[in-house]
Amino acid sequence: MGKIRDWFSYLSHFVYAEKLESMDQILQQIPQQLINGVTVGGVYALIAIGYTMVYGILFMLNFAHGEVYMIGGFTGWWVLHLLTNSSGGLLLNGFIVIILMILFAMALTGALGMGIERFAYRPLRNAPRMNLLLSALGVTIVLRNLVLNLQGAKIRFFHTSALIPKSIQVFHIGGTVISFMRLLVIGVSIGLMAILTWFVKETKMGKAMRATAQDTEAATFMGIDVNRIILLTFLIGSALGGAAGALVGLLFTQVDYYVGYVAGLKGFTAAVLGGIGSIPGAMVGGFILGIVESLATTLISSTYKDVVSFIILILVLLIRPWGILGEKAPEKV
Amino acid sequence: MALSSLGQKKIGDIPLQSLVLILAVVVVIPWIMPNNYWIRIAGNAGLWIMLSLGLNVVAGFAGLLDLGYVAFYAIGGYTYALLCSGHWNIHLPFWLVVPICALAASACGWGLGFTSLRVSGDYLAIVTLGFAEIVRLLLLNLDRPINITGGPNGLPDLDFAHIFGFTFRTVTQYYYLVMFFALLVILASYRLKRSRLGRGWEALREDELAADAMGVNTTYMKLLAFGIGASIAGGAGAVFASWQGGVFPNNFGFSQLVTVYCMLILGGVGNIWGVILAAIILSILPEALREYGAFRMIGYGLLLVVLMALRPQGILGEISLRPKRKKKEVEEPETLKAAEELFYGDGSHDFVKPLKKGKLNKDRVLLELKDLTMIFGGLHAVDRLSLKVYEGEILSIIGPNGAGKTTVFNLITGIYPPTSGHIIFDGKEITGLKPHKVVEKGVARTFQTLRLFTNMTVLENAMVAQHCRTKSGLFSILFRLPGFLKEEERIERVAKENLGLFGARLTGFRYKQKAINLSYANRRRLEIARALATDSRLILLDEPSAGMNPKETEEITRFIRNLRDKYGYTFIIIEHKLNVVRTISDRVIALDYGKKIAEGSYDEVADNEYVVQAYLGRKKGRV
Repeated sequence: MGKIRDWFSYLSHFVYAEKLESMDQILQQIPQQLINGVTVGGVYALIAIGYTMVYGILFMLNFAHGEVYMIGGFTGWWVLHLLTNSSGGLLLNGFIVIILMILFAMALTGALGMGIERFAYRPLRNAPRMNLLLSALGVTIVLRNLVLNLQGAKIRFFHTSALIPKSIQVFHIGGTVISFMRLLVIGVSIGLMAILTWFVKETKMGKAMRATAQDTEAATFMGIDVNRIILLTFLIGSALGGAAGALVGLLFTQVDYYVGYVAGLKGFTAAVLGGIGSIPGAMVGGFILGIVESLATTLISSTYKDVVSFIILILVLLIRPWGILGEKAPEKV
Repeated sequence: MALSSLGQKKIGDIPLQSLVLILAVVVVIPWIMPNNYWIRIAGNAGLWIMLSLGLNVVAGFAGLLDLGYVAFYAIGGYTYALLCSGHWNIHLPFWLVVPICALAASACGWGLGFTSLRVSGDYLAIVTLGFAEIVRLLLLNLDRPINITGGPNGLPDLDFAHIFGFTFRTVTQYYYLVMFFALLVILASYRLKRSRLGRGWEALREDELAADAMGVNTTYMKLLAFGIGASIAGGAGAVFASWQGGVFPNNFGFSQLVTVYCMLILGGVGNIWGVILAAIILSILPEALREYGAFRMIGYGLLLVVLMALRPQGILGEISLRPKRKKKEVEEPETLKAAEELFYGDGSHDFVKPLKKGKLNKDRVLLELKDLTMIFGGLHAVDRLSLKVYEGEILSIIGPNGAGKTTVFNLITGIYPPTSGHIIFDGKEITGLKPHKVVEKGVARTFQTLRLFTNMTVLENAMVAQHCRTKSGLFSILFRLPGFLKEEERIERVAKENLGLFGARLTGFRYKQKAINLSYANRRRLEIARALATDSRLILLDEPSAGMNPKETEEITRFIRNLRDKYGYTFIIIEHKLNVVRTISDRVIALDYGKKIAEGSYDEVADNEYVVQAYLGRKKGRV
């Protein structure tokens, strides 16, 4: 054990020269980082679900999903901005504002997702995969630059301090600090995932969705309106991505036009890590990625935090491309 | 002799008049441009042409969606900056540095290709995008602890290009320098496209598995595409760095990647002239629309979406400069033309396949399977199958659906490595070899579900099959060495000989027809011709008569028999039509649940109790 500690402290000195921390300090941070990891992981899971649902049915990587998330963040900011008066006070109860932010973000991104499917992807459903992907790339560019032109490149800040009463903003448990926002993010993301699981498992529409994912053609023959199911998939996936955007805004209090790029890659990594096409996989993958990333921030350096997740992605793709919960399918000849 | 070779059409090179025309335009441009500003734009267009043609090799020819492409441009640029500036006080000569930059980028390209070999399609796109992001982060952050990239400030004050005592300083001088390299890239990509490598890439893009089964080493070809694309980007990066006199992280960002992709899509993926034209248009258009600059990226995005939906083949796709002559259909379905031609060799084709008599030779085992087993999960798809195939034999495999017939083919041709057992071809073990290696040994196949290279022409389909019989490398292709020209001639001859076996069905105007436009029966014929064109001795046919009408079935049956009798091939055939099996087989084996349940002449197998049971089920009361 001592040896491992020495090795770790050696390693942390090596990669993080300017912040010489003792191993004990780092170990103390671990519970805190676990909480942070679970919070961020919930958000990653929400984004990953959007990727995995679309992939499950259309076998395509919805490149534009990261931008949908970004627009969710901006919608949240916009709702908060409208409900804040000039002196910084709120026009409504803070909790209602939070609920409105999330609901509006989900509604707008859900509609956006359906629009993307209808106009950018549906015309290409029988085209080569590369065309679909390039069309998705085009949508990404349009959305990102649309926001850039409407908003400018500046960062928008969420003034969240008035949303929650001072008395419950922060909890202390031992040396670990948990903010109310973190609990909220964890709660909302887990709640949304529970609703989704119930929907997919128990409802008629959910069953139709699973049937379409298994075999689109057969589903058509069984009387399922596949176009509607695909639209529904985009609606749900995008709405969850939009919710993630609003939640991150509440948590880290800022959003800019470029956040979709990295968030999209993270969500995709989580989806692949869990096994693309599998909804529980996306959830598991999201939480694992969040935790690993938080720990890596402590042990290595925050500058290369994003590099860590790319490396995880590449390793998963090389070693176990079907992910943790996915199934390996041999190529049919 | 000299005269006749002069008069010959040069195979696969840019026509001389086009080259002269391009050169003239390039030389004249600086004189007709109103000012330096426009000469600079023309030079920029040259850089974009280089970049987009480089990407065209990776994404266009080979169909690999490489979203990390712009990182190689950055690697080239920064390599130049490090080797030709006061930053580390290294001042290498320009003529040496450009190849170094190209090689550095190429090495990274091979590296990226190698790590991402096991992923394809969407996954490849995301891995390469991740790679580009890593490179971008490194460029931005490697100013600490040691200053390598200059961080966000980049590396300014680079050397001018300096070649043999001449220093390039003015815009016009740099314009010519850029254009020199752009012309090199145009020439190189034109030659590459019309070579065995170009066809190999195209086959890979159309159908990776079929390309592998036709003898294309897909792994190597992918790496080669990554390497060549990256080296072009690296060279372009070096020229760009020298011209700009500095490199900065935002020269190599997402927007540059998008621009290059837009050029590729607008021009038509894989279409060299289209891509060049698109690069020129998209270099000039933003200048003309400068006041709407903020909307440029939105425009590019919309361009991608709209083009993909409405015109995925690009602006020049399928537009020919010369008017098309109307062609007469010569299909005569009521006669047994192909089979008749085989008998009489009517001499109407320039390319007649040389005869080589063949008959069943029981003394020579060509292929032997020993205890071959394949287990998928818990399912024994092939179960301890042992089998000998003699030289010149026509062996049929029958059995109900799911009996493991196609799996046997997949095992022999190396598509799956067997769980256990041995495959011996012509006395040599071929167990576990990759498909393209198996073809090289002399075993070719057709597919039950047709796997032609649908967007390639009939002739190109057959020419791909010669990939493993030819060796021309990059060097001899780019410099058109005599060895390469001789090989190209041979490839075309062999392809035409084998297509000629099917008479007018696959020859004449059909040479230039895309495989996707053929009738179903002709596609089956082309698959057979393609397998024959690999110069293999053992041909595995997976349901050659599936989907054919009785006339066509009879024709193909006689045809296969003739191939054996006149040209000495050995066949293993999977077939469901028992009249076909009865007519041509020397021997029949029956499979059920992966096991051999009967073997012998057609009559013996057809009367076999187990075979009857396998097809019709067991009679009540009998156990």
